[in-house]
Amino acid sequence: MKEKIIGIDLGTTNSCVAVLEGGTPEIITNAEGERITPSVVGFTADGERLIGRLAKRQAITNPTNTVSSIKREMGTDHRTKISTDGKTTEYSPEEISAMILQKLKRDAEAHLGGTVTKAVITVPAYFNDSQRQATKDAGRIAGLEVARIINEPTAAALAYGLEKQHDQTILVFDLGGGTFDVSVLDIGDGVFDVLSTDGDTRLGGDDFDQRIVDWLVEEFRKDTGVDLTADPSAMQRLKDAAEAAKKELSSRMETTINLPYITADASGPKHLEKKLSRAKFEGMIDDLLQRTIQTVDGALREAKKTADGIDQVVLVGGSTRIPKVQELIASRIPGKINREINPDEVVAGGAAIQGGVLAGEVDEIVLLDVTPLTLSIETLGEVATPLIERNTTIPTEKTKTFTTAQDNQPAVQIHVVQGERKMASDNKSLGTFQLDGIPPAPRGIPQIDVTFNIDADGILHVTAQDKATSKSASITITESSRLDDDEIEKMRKDAEEHAEEDKQKYEQTEVRNQADQLIYAVEKAMSDLGEKVDAAKRSEVEDQIRRLKEKLEQGAGLEDLRQAVEELTKASQEIAQQAYQQTQADAGAATSSTGASTEAEPGTQDDDGGEYIDAEYDEPQD
Amino acid sequence: MSNPKKRKRDETEIPVEQVEAPVAEDQENANGELSIYIDRLQRLQAEFENYKKRTAREYSAVEERVEDRTILGFLGLYDNLERAFSSHAEDKDTESFVAGLEQIFGQFSQLLEQYGVERIPGVGEAFDPAVHEALLSVASDQQKNSILEEFLPGYRRGNRVLRASKVSVSRGPTPTEEADE
Repeated sequence: MKEKIIGIDLGTTNSCVAVLEGGTPEIITNAEGERITPSVVGFTADGERLIGRLAKRQAITNPTNTVSSIKREMGTDHRTKISTDGKTTEYSPEEISAMILQKLKRDAEAHLGGTVTKAVITVPAYFNDSQRQATKDAGRIAGLEVARIINEPTAAALAYGLEKQHDQTILVFDLGGGTFDVSVLDIGDGVFDVLSTDGDTRLGGDDFDQRIVDWLVEEFRKDTGVDLTADPSAMQRLKDAAEAAKKELSSRMETTINLPYITADASGPKHLEKKLSRAKFEGMIDDLLQRTIQTVDGALREAKKTADGIDQVVLVGGSTRIPKVQELIASRIPGKINREINPDEVVAGGAAIQGGVLAGEVDEIVLLDVTPLTLSIETLGEVATPLIERNTTIPTEKTKTFTTAQDNQPAVQIHVVQGERKMASDNKSLGTFQLDGIPPAPRGIPQIDVTFNIDADGILHVTAQDKATSKSASITITESSRLDDDEIEKMRKDAEEHAEEDKQKYEQTEVRNQADQLIYAVEKAMSDLGEKVDAAKRSEVEDQIRRLKEKLEQGAGLEDLRQAVEELTKASQEIAQQAYQQTQADAGAATSSTGASTEAEPGTQDDDGGEYIDAEYDEPQD
Repeated sequence: MSNPKKRKRDETEIPVEQVEAPVAEDQENANGELSIYIDRLQRLQAEFENYKKRTAREYSAVEERVEDRTILGFLGLYDNLERAFSSHAEDKDTESFVAGLEQIFGQFSQLLEQYGVERIPGVGEAFDPAVHEALLSVASDQQKNSILEEFLPGYRRGNRVLRASKVSVSRGPTPTEEADE
């Protein structure tokens, strides 16, 4: 087992550590159960060192011996004076950073169950040589050999695998808790070239929270005349509520900030209840957001690029979740935003990938592809029955057993389709072949294994084999993964847009198939039972079968069909019961009739998880 | 690879063609085997990837079910609060309303207890950043670092902190800010 090289995003406000596991980066949860660790170090009176969340909690009681945002001092000769037990010790920024790194190292070791000695650490693109050297030294002090220092925007690009694509120019927009950076990078041949970098070291999510707090304080003063700023506990509640409201407004258009008993005066307790709309919030932070966009323009100018010259935009930092932020970027650089990866974790993830590369973990073999779209075969009623779901990592193999839809069906037609739509005809057809020579048998009896095998090159081999005769037929489809990105995106969107309509169509087909199967089963049961069913019952059931058949032919509605199916099911149960009583009365042929009665049950339906799905049957052409 | 071959030839003087034929064959076999192993490795790797994806899906499904179960426990309380308000709308008797709320609060406490939720001790305790979050540092005649006031109680479940309590902490009898030192 090769030694793992961890990836560390050593941030100004928060840090994050990740490691490559099975080719993909995994974020390591810290001892407190969180995925990010505040970059804060505290020294308690009794000489104990606290890192992360705990250090942050005690910061107020221990302001002189708590250090935060040390990253701003990296590469300078700044010294942090810490006095505990009457002794004063001076620490360099490297030493403080090393304490954070040490905690991340410990957490990683706990996760991996072994020692970690190597790391890739990220720094802002604008860090100069001495700042980079300081970061490297911090690693060494923490007992980590720094395998490489990489730029944060480069790490973000790595996390998205952009270096594997063609040569391109990307813009990384990093809006964190307290800092803001924009970088423009050229990527080509695995080389990352920073064309420009710009930013604001004092702008981030905390400023947005503060705007909401200010608004709440002002509103509350208007409503009640009470100034909440004088009450630290109320202010803390406001701060927490503001942050929660901000987050909620990323997914909702309006939120209610509800803080009962926020304070009290002579007239009694006071409650705060305010509705905040997304638009209102966007108005509050508009000037801040405009500043970020000006920075984007500045970075583009410096890189001598226009918006058209940018191939991809990568979002980093929790505040990029704000829809208005994305909207503003999209208004400058339309249609290029990548945002699938958690923006808090994307830098650490990219660092972990770099670590994997340096550890020799990432080479040709582990760079595996995924199937961009679901691969299915067409089954009874034109339903697309998936064998390999989209996003499955290849190479892979899946087998499902299908059966025939008609008695004595001599052949099955295998139609392979690709796409997310529920009906086969709405998907892309990849190929068709036929397996014939199926020995005569009632429908539902033959077992035909259909196997989809995609090799590492994305070539799909589909094989159908009759279990009884071992006879098989197959097809090889080479273009299954050769769709371009636009085509894939179009097909996905298509499926989303038609989801409701497809669901209805699918349900309709399902009930039709159910009806069809039921008719078959009941007819079979009646012929098996013969005179055990009395004439009146027989004609009643036959009547119902006829009506259901008529409905199927007329293409009756879903509810109508469901009802008819239900009626026939009930009737079929009655004949089964009658036959059973008859048999008991006859006290002889018990075995054959129980067999028949189970078959008359429509319980052979198998919509989810069932192995037997009627294979689409076309009359053989030859 | 070439070394043993050479030595062999030196020692036994076998003509070149005779040696090379089997070597080429070996090479071919080795290549064949290699591609089988690469394929196996790739498949194992892909299987692991797919296993991870499936586990992630199952994990979020489990999370949802756990949430469902938890929410179900709280619905009873919600019902009772609704009853309290609708009965208060008809009968404005504050005393019976408060008595009702007290009972619901009791139910609530019981539910939390069922889940093993415990309140973290606050006022008078020594400040511990593992379970307390300091909002204020106040000069007082109380012992330095003891908790003076609890603004928001904290809760734990087993040894996990659900929420640290938000407190004010005594700075001791120093009248000035420590920062002045």
